[in-house]
Amino acid sequence: MANARHHVSLRGLTHVFHDGQRPLTALADVTLDVAWGQFLTVIGPSGCGKSTLLRIVAGLLRRPRGEVLVDGGAPAAAQRARDIGLVAQDPALLPWRTVLGNVRLPLEIDRGARTRFAPSPEQLLELTGLSEFRSYYPHQLSGGMQQRVAIARALAFDPSLLLMDEPFGALDEITRATMRYELLRIWSAGGGAPAGRKTVMFVTHSIPEAIALSDRVVVLSARPGTVRAAIDIELPRPRTQEIERTAPFLDYADLMRSLLKEAPA
Amino acid sequence: MNRTVRTVADHVLPPALALFAAFLFWEFWVQWRDISIIVVPPPSAVLERFLDDPAFFWGEGGWTLYEATLGLLLGSSFAIALATAMAHSRLAERSLFPLAIIIKVTPIVAVAPVLVILLGFGTTPKVIVAALISFFPMLVNSMTGFRDVNPGALEFMRSLRASSWQIFWKLRLPSALPYLFAALKVTYPLALIGAVVAEWFTGDRGLGLVIFVANYNLDTPTLFAAIGVLALTGVSLNVILSLAERRLLFWHQTIRTIR
Repeated sequence: MANARHHVSLRGLTHVFHDGQRPLTALADVTLDVAWGQFLTVIGPSGCGKSTLLRIVAGLLRRPRGEVLVDGGAPAAAQRARDIGLVAQDPALLPWRTVLGNVRLPLEIDRGARTRFAPSPEQLLELTGLSEFRSYYPHQLSGGMQQRVAIARALAFDPSLLLMDEPFGALDEITRATMRYELLRIWSAGGGAPAGRKTVMFVTHSIPEAIALSDRVVVLSARPGTVRAAIDIELPRPRTQEIERTAPFLDYADLMRSLLKEAPA
Repeated sequence: MNRTVRTVADHVLPPALALFAAFLFWEFWVQWRDISIIVVPPPSAVLERFLDDPAFFWGEGGWTLYEATLGLLLGSSFAIALATAMAHSRLAERSLFPLAIIIKVTPIVAVAPVLVILLGFGTTPKVIVAALISFFPMLVNSMTGFRDVNPGALEFMRSLRASSWQIFWKLRLPSALPYLFAALKVTYPLALIGAVVAEWFTGDRGLGLVIFVANYNLDTPTLFAAIGVLALTGVSLNVILSLAERRLLFWHQTIRTIR
């Protein structure tokens, strides 16, 4: 499947919103590449355009200036090929559907998908630790559990690219720390598919989250968002929660903190 | 079982007792002031009249309910279809919503005689009046409902490239159900009123005709018995709708906070 050199490639990406009274430049001249199977995190202060960036890659915001390539083509093509999975801060589950019903939703929208893709909804529930909760309704689940459902749902088409927009932003600190490593476990398992690790673009404003998860962290400056630095995180995998107390981890955290401080809010 | 008994004790018993007390007061008041039966009948006389021929009242009531239900279905179908169009297109909303407001502000009582001239004395004018009266609340509620969709869920559906049709069936319609139920609770009794009013003008059957004739003949026990049957029908409809709502909307916060 890996035709293009980079899975996601952004060249001089600029996006201006025109819906307010004055045009608002959310992103200015962003250039970055995401390698196949890489876990890349975009970090930056609030309002730096991180979510806009992700929504452009997802094909939800059209006609940005600059070049956006997903597997060498337009985001819309990747979307049509069912090759993008989306997880947002609000799990946005359908409250009238059970956990299993929510994970099945994508397969109902694309009827042909049932036979095309490897992990069945049941397998995805197993992977995300939700098997016991399959017949629960969203309101019976905690925030962390709901976000697990959203992750399982995003994996339904076995996409090679997973876009996550502050998925743990609404969770309490303790759940959040656990979910990081749950996500890494799911990612290492290839999202339930035999094809291997998926490419992940992850957006957050939590420094420990960015370091713990990523192969590479891109730091954006405040509005308009531009790339301030890109840091490779050379910490061994598999990572566990203990890694957050090691010296290299704390060094990365210091470096990132100073980079974010330079980016005036 | 125990729970059912408790629910009845908590929710049915208090209003039933209050109602009984009111009837008791009414009965004694009429007896004490020696009020003529032509003005206000005592509840005992109304009950007696009803028990004299319950099949008559239920039969006429059933007819009125049938007309109201047909009207409700007709009016609601139109309203939901129109709301669907308006939820998808601003142009449709701009051109059709003013027409809907005209229907809303026109007094139905004034339209009923016109409909008789147009449609004759059959079932049709009653159904139409019931439909007209239930149309607007249904339209406004379903329009709000179709738009009150979780934006995250909508974005997710769009990222899956779901068709507008799929988004409507799998997201908009279920999201609108709480609004549709709220509207039904308002419009079903309204449709009943509409059917009764239409029967005054064109009555060949129904409780509206019973009320009209009884009023003309100063037959107050029959008049009040008919009103009582109408009230009872309205209450039953509300109970049935509330029970259905609880079963269908268990996931919605308005239902979850009742418990």
